[in-house]
Amino acid sequence: MSVPILKQGDVLIASIQVALSDRELVELRDQLADRVGRLRARGVIIDVTELDVLDSFAARMLRGIAYTAKLRGAKTVVAGIQPEVALAMVQLGLSLDGIATALDLEEGLVLLRGGSDERVPRD
Amino acid sequence: MAPLQRGRKVADRADQTPAQFLMREMALSEQNVERRKRIVGLDAQDLVHIASIKDLVCSRVEEHTRIFFDYVAALDEGRPLFADHALMERARQLEKDRLIATAQGEYGTAYVEQRLELAMLYSKAGLPLRVFLAAFHHVIMSIGATIMKQFERTPLEGFQVFMSLKKVAFFDIGIGVDVIVFERERVIRRQQEAIRELSTPVLQIREKLLLLPIIGVIDSHRARLITEGLLKSIRANRAKVVVMDVTGVATIDSMVANHLIQTVTAAKLMGASVIVTGLSSDVAQSLVSLGIDLGKLDTVGDLQGGIEEAELLLGYRVVSDSARVRRHQSLSPEAE
Repeated sequence: MSVPILKQGDVLIASIQVALSDRELVELRDQLADRVGRLRARGVIIDVTELDVLDSFAARMLRGIAYTAKLRGAKTVVAGIQPEVALAMVQLGLSLDGIATALDLEEGLVLLRGGSDERVPRD
Repeated sequence: MAPLQRGRKVADRADQTPAQFLMREMALSEQNVERRKRIVGLDAQDLVHIASIKDLVCSRVEEHTRIFFDYVAALDEGRPLFADHALMERARQLEKDRLIATAQGEYGTAYVEQRLELAMLYSKAGLPLRVFLAAFHHVIMSIGATIMKQFERTPLEGFQVFMSLKKVAFFDIGIGVDVIVFERERVIRRQQEAIRELSTPVLQIREKLLLLPIIGVIDSHRARLITEGLLKSIRANRAKVVVMDVTGVATIDSMVANHLIQTVTAAKLMGASVIVTGLSSDVAQSLVSLGIDLGKLDTVGDLQGGIEEAELLLGYRVVSDSARVRRHQSLSPEAE
């Protein structure tokens, strides 16, 4: 199954509901890259609240999405990483360097709408 | 391992003597006892030797027991043992049993259990190990003299018999030392647990702002607990900024620094930024000389500065209302 990508104003929201296979992740990346350009989005939120595992491939794909989106002019926020997932990722040495993170979808939207953006890496 | 065993401990305590309980805790199984015998080199030949002097040792048990306690009594350090009469009588009986058991040639778990009981008694009485060892050696010497008298015409054989006995003695000492080390380690474990249980609270000091004061020693287990607690609080309080104060952490080595970085990274994944405060100049210097890079961390000198910085990030502006202060000051003398 593919991940639904919703458009909310100039923000694209991809809410991942179930664990994705590697192929589906690649598909998600390609779709987002395509839509960012087509829908002239300024921001992308990937909601991972439902995920209880984030492996190295998934982390790499998220980074891939963020960099691709940035090249096309949109800022990416990963929202809703669970405490257990965060701990496991840190212990596995996985990082999401260069990607903004938010507590949940709501905070992610605030972040993109130009609320406080301290956590968006300066570059 | 500890929490798992705790349940079992309580269940078993009822039908176990303290010595049996200690044996189980120290994992002194039959295999372990066999291994210990092999370590001191106790073999079948030794058992033959010891059997040959069994009657000799048993007939002089009273005398050797007396030698042991006389030796202890002569030393100031031995005094605590003689202060308690009941304890002393028990020790005398056990010491007698022990000498007899030593001559029997049976060194299984029952023998070890008896050793433990005696060792626990001495440690309870506060008899220093060095005093016990000296007195024990004195007894061995005296037994040795008896043996040599017996084997007057074949001193080489006598010496071999004596050496067999000595192996048993070292087998005993090995167990005794392990008991003491185990007891010390138990104290250390208990203290570590106490430190862990000194909770690491996560306090909300403003909306979306958490304070995490860390005090004491950080090891990997505690670091995990701290990180878990913090992440859960971040979600529960919807925090965006965390001030982590390490003023109470005496030393920070590469391991602790790594733990701190992990905590900060995990918090970042949840969308909260962490400000680390309270790195003293000593700690900072040692981190620099160790070459540990904390560049990834957002650090501010002291807790006050950290909270101010966090307020800035969250868009708070704290202003002092001087008129109100004056009013309060003028009111307070009247109240008294």
